[in-house]
Amino acid sequence: MMELAAPFEMTQPAISQHLKVLEDAGLVVRRVDGTKRPRRLAKAGVEAMDQWLAMLRKALEKSYDRLDEVLASMEKQKRGEKR
Amino acid sequence: MSKITLQTEGDTHVVVTRRFAAPPEAVYRAHTDPKLVQKWMLGPEGWTMPVCISEAKPGGKIRYEWSNGKGAGFHLTGEYLELEPYSRLVHVERMHLPDTTPDNHVETRFDADGTGTLMTVRMTLPDAQTRAAMLATGMERGMEASYVRLEGMI
Repeated sequence: MMELAAPFEMTQPAISQHLKVLEDAGLVVRRVDGTKRPRRLAKAGVEAMDQWLAMLRKALEKSYDRLDEVLASMEKQKRGEKR
Repeated sequence: MSKITLQTEGDTHVVVTRRFAAPPEAVYRAHTDPKLVQKWMLGPEGWTMPVCISEAKPGGKIRYEWSNGKGAGFHLTGEYLELEPYSRLVHVERMHLPDTTPDNHVETRFDADGTGTLMTVRMTLPDAQTRAAMLATGMERGMEASYVRLEGMI
């Protein structure tokens, strides 16, 4: 905890709070080593979220590219009606 | 060129932005008129939306049914909560995969950006179980290695 807090201008309770959020989200895991509680990134947790965000991005990109075409044809139709 | 941005907001939300060449009125209509929604809100190549219900009024029902034409499919139900033509939409939605996922509260803003629109969609980050179910729909097929960073999260 001291080592993690050292580079930041934050109080130790604040760091502790942030770590708890990350632990609850499954992104950081804690180990017991004597009096120390070393943390490491939970690779599986990070990858699962990454994978989902990548899926979302891919699905939205494809959909919005199609929406560009729909909008273009709406605009064309509108111009046609005005003539 | 990728015009889309995805950012996590804390550990509870995802904010997506995208620019469109058309004005807010057109982009708003394309999100609420079922005949228009059906043409584009399809995700990856190969999926269609045979059923599209969108009652654009407060309390109005939303129902989208997707199919990949090979027997796989799922649907989404929801309700409109707030409608401010042509600048803002708030709705709640859930997926049936076939288990029902927790409600996703979605706010969509349409802001004029020159002659076009900057759209901002703020949605709830699903829990691990929901994410796994969504990935299992097969919508991720053909997905390359993940390249989206957990912006703002780590």
